[in-house]
Amino acid sequence: MRDSVLSRRALLLGSLAFPLTFSACRRSRTSEQQVVDLVIESDGDFLAFRPDELSCRTGTMIHVTFHHTGKFLSALHNWVLVLPNQMEAVDKDAEKTDGEISPDDPRVIAWVPMCGKGERVTTQFVAPAPGDYPFFCSTPGHAVDMNGIMHVTE
Amino acid sequence: MKREKKMLAVLALIVLMLTLAAPISAAQLKSPDTVKTALRLLVQVSNDFKRQITNKNFARVPHEYMEYTEAADALRTGIKDEPADFKARVESRLKAAVAAYQKISDMSAKATDPGPLMVEHAKAVTAMNAVFDLFPADMRPDPNLPPPGGRRGGRG
Repeated sequence: MRDSVLSRRALLLGSLAFPLTFSACRRSRTSEQQVVDLVIESDGDFLAFRPDELSCRTGTMIHVTFHHTGKFLSALHNWVLVLPNQMEAVDKDAEKTDGEISPDDPRVIAWVPMCGKGERVTTQFVAPAPGDYPFFCSTPGHAVDMNGIMHVTE
Repeated sequence: MKREKKMLAVLALIVLMLTLAAPISAAQLKSPDTVKTALRLLVQVSNDFKRQITNKNFARVPHEYMEYTEAADALRTGIKDEPADFKARVESRLKAAVAAYQKISDMSAKATDPGPLMVEHAKAVTAMNAVFDLFPADMRPDPNLPPPGGRRGGRG
């Protein structure tokens, strides 16, 4: 008798858990669908990003590919996304390390490593809270011209 | 008769000198896009020199010099199919400009004060402008213009 009660409980719990399992799968599939690929380039050898404005929704998984499209100059470029109003400060600090970004810097949301002409580098991150986030190249002296804005919306 | 011949010879000489002194037209250039890019890169790197000097980031100056030589090579590539006399005139002025920027690079090794480097930079810009004078006005970059697509001044 006890065995039969247990098995009925197990059956009840199992039947309740079954749709929940499916619901979790769907949610994870939904989050997979929210991966957004963004491609950003240097403007050839010039100090500018193409495009210099990006948009995405908060919470989206962003996959960024940065392509250094230069042909003539050996200048290195990267792409660094920082918290609002932090571009100048992060850039100033990066000058001391020849443009390298510290992986522990809490002001930095995402970045790709320095790359040379013709190279592509990638990174991914979850889009932060809604707002306008500056991005720039942290090679010393580049940020003043080579920068842009990522608009994160609701 | 002798006098007329003399005058004709003088006139011919003047025409020849004017022809040689006149900049080549954009339509005559074989690779106008590469030339235009190279001229703009020379200005861009020159501005970077100035920025590094002003920020007292002297260690970066030799790096800028290397880029300047690369921009100069881009210009050489852009004019490689042009007539020999035009190439020779560009090369002569380009060499002088590169030498002027090399001087800044050499000085930067021991620099502590931006002042003397800025004086040399002004001279280097004059040498660079002499290169630009050989090209049509509509191809010469405006040193005060931001790069295309850039948000000069940075935001955030």
